Amino acid sequence: MFDFGIITGWIHTQLTSVMSEQLAIFLECVIVGILLLLVYVIVAIIMIYMERKVCAAFQCRLGPTRVGPWGSLQVFCDVFKMLTKEIITVRHSDKFLYNLAPFIVILASVMAFACIPMSRGLEILDFNVGVFFFMAASSIGIVGILLAGWSSNSKFSLIGAMRSGAQMISYELSVGLSILTIVVLTDTMQFSEIVMRQEDGWFIFKGHIPAVISFIIYLIAANAEVNRGPFDLPEAESELTAGYHTEYSGMHFGLFYVAEFVNLFIVSSIAATIFLGGWMPLHIPGLDGFNAVMDWIPGFVWYFAKAFFVVWLLMWIKWTFPRLRIDQILTLEWKYLVPIGLANLLLMVIVVVFKLHF
Amino acid sequence: MRTTSNIDMENKLDIKEKIAAMEPSAVWSDAGDGMFRVPVSSFRPLAEKLKNEEGFDFLRSLTGMDWGEEGLGCVYHLENTATGENVVISTADADRDNARVPSVHDLWKGANFNEREAYDFFGIKFVGHPDLRRLFLRDDWQGHPLRKDYDMALNPLNMENEGNEDEAPSYEMTPDGGYILRRHPLFEDQEYVINIGPQHPATHGVLRFRVSLEGETIKKIDVHSGYIHRGIEKLCESLTYPQTLALTDRLDYLGAMQNRHALCACIEKAMGLEVSDRIKCIRTIMDELQRIDSHLLFIACLSQDMGALEVFFLGFRDREKVLDILEQTTGGRLIQTYNTIGGVQADIHPDFMKKTKEFIRYMRPKMREYQEIFTDNVIVRKRLTGTGILSREDAISFGATGGSGRASGWACDVRKRHPYAMYDKVDFEEITFAAGDCFDRYMVRVKEIEQSLNIIEQLIDNIPEGEWQMKVKPVIKLPAGSWYTAVEGSRGEFGVFIESRGDKFPYRVKFRSTGLPLVSCIDTISRNAKIADLIAIGGTLDYVVPDIDR
Amino acid sequence: MRDYIKGLLGGIWSLLTGMKVTFREYFTPKITEQYPENRATLKMNERFCGELTMPHDENGNNRCIACGLCQMACPNGTIRITSETVTDPETGKPKKRLVKYEYDLGSCMFCHLCVNACPHHAIEFSTDFEHAVFTRSKLVKTLNKQQS
Repeated sequence: MFDFGIITGWIHTQLTSVMSEQLAIFLECVIVGILLLLVYVIVAIIMIYMERKVCAAFQCRLGPTRVGPWGSLQVFCDVFKMLTKEIITVRHSDKFLYNLAPFIVILASVMAFACIPMSRGLEILDFNVGVFFFMAASSIGIVGILLAGWSSNSKFSLIGAMRSGAQMISYELSVGLSILTIVVLTDTMQFSEIVMRQEDGWFIFKGHIPAVISFIIYLIAANAEVNRGPFDLPEAESELTAGYHTEYSGMHFGLFYVAEFVNLFIVSSIAATIFLGGWMPLHIPGLDGFNAVMDWIPGFVWYFAKAFFVVWLLMWIKWTFPRLRIDQILTLEWKYLVPIGLANLLLMVIVVVFKLHF
Repeated sequence: MRTTSNIDMENKLDIKEKIAAMEPSAVWSDAGDGMFRVPVSSFRPLAEKLKNEEGFDFLRSLTGMDWGEEGLGCVYHLENTATGENVVISTADADRDNARVPSVHDLWKGANFNEREAYDFFGIKFVGHPDLRRLFLRDDWQGHPLRKDYDMALNPLNMENEGNEDEAPSYEMTPDGGYILRRHPLFEDQEYVINIGPQHPATHGVLRFRVSLEGETIKKIDVHSGYIHRGIEKLCESLTYPQTLALTDRLDYLGAMQNRHALCACIEKAMGLEVSDRIKCIRTIMDELQRIDSHLLFIACLSQDMGALEVFFLGFRDREKVLDILEQTTGGRLIQTYNTIGGVQADIHPDFMKKTKEFIRYMRPKMREYQEIFTDNVIVRKRLTGTGILSREDAISFGATGGSGRASGWACDVRKRHPYAMYDKVDFEEITFAAGDCFDRYMVRVKEIEQSLNIIEQLIDNIPEGEWQMKVKPVIKLPAGSWYTAVEGSRGEFGVFIESRGDKFPYRVKFRSTGLPLVSCIDTISRNAKIADLIAIGGTLDYVVPDIDR
Repeated sequence: MRDYIKGLLGGIWSLLTGMKVTFREYFTPKITEQYPENRATLKMNERFCGELTMPHDENGNNRCIACGLCQMACPNGTIRITSETVTDPETGKPKKRLVKYEYDLGSCMFCHLCVNACPHHAIEFSTDFEHAVFTRSKLVKTLNKQQS
């Protein structure tokens, strides 16, 4: 597996040879930041295009076909259209918070995005409590959504924001529990380390029953975390028109929209990282030829393939099921997912203590 | 069939005698269907007796009338749901400027909205009505447009915003014959009132609910309608009978066939014209195709309201097939203009039978798909079961016919109650459920699609030969009198009431809306439900806004 | 507890059945009509009411006798007929002749009353459905060919 650390290390040595170390690190930080935002935008565009095509396919439609081949330029046109739109401020809204809210949401999303190891040596934020940092960073988004709902001075927005607050804080618990289950198995919280431990087998195979259960719980809870159907109550379009971002227009709305899609990608890639081996290729013990071929495929291809597979899975779920009601969402979390998650955690501890895993 | 109509006749005589005995001042007039004219002073006691003693628990239709010299009044079509007896009562107050009719909203809950409509259009003050606001027109509207002496120039185009009437007026009689106007606030100051509509994705058109919330729980709903009111009943008064037909397709656009069927049948009844079996058969098949179309759209829209867009597209895909069949014969997909007085616009297309049979073969397995993806889904069951319960008594009292009434256990199918066209010759089951919740309302429609397929299957190979258009005079004049004919529309009893004075124009046409009773019961059944439930309730009640507003 | 597990498993099973249906739909042929690309193959049903037309034979003559029945039958005042009285050269009797047959597509309800009223089948509905124009005045069409 190719290690991008060689390239980054080489760049670092080249830079320090011409300038002081502080300046080099500063420069690297800027470059990395720009690259991160670039990848973020590209992922957003791919995600929006994928959503439109995949949901069309589920619904016996073709999806966008007009702009560019197979409608591939549609998203660029959408972004362009959104940029040209006026940003409307509602009367009696809290101007400062109203304008701040979308940036908080996108900030949380970018910070969480930076935690994901994309390939060997391509980790941006990688330290020993990475899992904690990821969960903390991604939770900031709730603040943005609550602020958006509160500051818009709209009853629909407020109800949407309240729903979202109740829902996201509840489901944070299940996400945490299911990630914790894997942390028990790995005894590390560093994402790159979690991936490295899966060299001889993905955790979903190594951890067998408890890992599969926590994978399913994670998918459900993560889906709820990013407010996507069947948990899209905060923006339930047939109830609250657009929920917390009803009053937003132009690029402010665009930021919410982009953050929503990239958040979906982030939770999918976390699922890919901790359950499906991240950028680790698929190895089947005994088939050396097959394994050698798999090793030839670069790590980031593995990573993106897995992440987008999980995204597709979540889209499949979204486009199949009707929306839940607010009390049912909380029932599902507190009466089903949390007890099952806790029992599952216990099961995993037993598995680990008695070395029942592979 | 013939025997039942004889029994009907006997019952009718029976009730005629009873009413004559009950109220000596009631005058029977024979023109048309025949009705009792009751002086306004003795109307209320008679209504009470009919409701409480004779069991006339279903107010089929309440029509405001302007009889010129005789004054302003109302026509009440009553039915006893236990025996199937029907009686028509009218009352009028000669004081045109200050017409007062006692309200019957406490006897039949459905009268509430209908009286508001009559007040709106005729200015009849319903004494004792708790909330006598205008139903359709703006609160600042001048005059009452369906009166014959209404001046069109009173209301120039108004570009001002409409204010919110926050107080409900009611009129109370004083012993000396005057009345007191009282105003009650609709909502308290502290209430969290939220507007759902008129531009809202889940109201299925321009309907507006003012919802008072406590958290997510609904405390009260105030329905505002009239955003798409076109005054079709008023328009009809200046159109010849064939011309009125063009407007019915624009009422309930998912029941275009049945609406026009009702109007044609009413005019034919007044003319004394019996159409051939072929016409009856074609009309029956078309009605049922339209019903399938409507119910598929119902499933599609309900699922979309609940967030399952997949089923929305499946529903629309299958509905397209029905529309293709209809378009091939009628030339229209939504606005079909097919039934005519004494026949149909064109004979069925040569491919019609083949395509319809193909569709039946296609549709049956598809129903299984809906069941797998939607009906059996645990989320759907959890959301629909037990929400928005409409009791049988309320359903009858509100006059909530159609699938919504049948889900509450009220066998209200006009096809069974008053068989018309070929419905007495085909074998089909009237689907009823007992719980009256959203899930039952949904299931009624699903099962009715199957029943409609059965009806079509029985008829499609046996369309009798005959003419598809009877000979009708070019200028159609109806004798003086009034007639009421109802068909089972896609979402309930669609009735047409025509009063004629012998001209080629109707004196008054009233369409018994299928949607108005459904909307009038929404406040009752969504109390203490969640916002999400309101969407499900609205979806399963299956109203169509142009049909409410007319 | 048994109900809890039963409800849980039943729920999951129903969700999986639903997902099976969507998965099947994922691979079924799509039904999108690719208009206007499919213009060449798109065929309307012959009874489709697009707009009112007045067929002319190869000599440019129509069958309209300017009787005005269609104008009378129309509930919306969509049709306006201008006629003149000329003397028939053969019989020498005065006869009505059509000058202009104006039809306002913008207010037409496609109710068929004019077609039904016409005693000579001079007007009929065509299946043309591409009616979009930029101004309302363009919707008012003259149906008869002006004899020059």
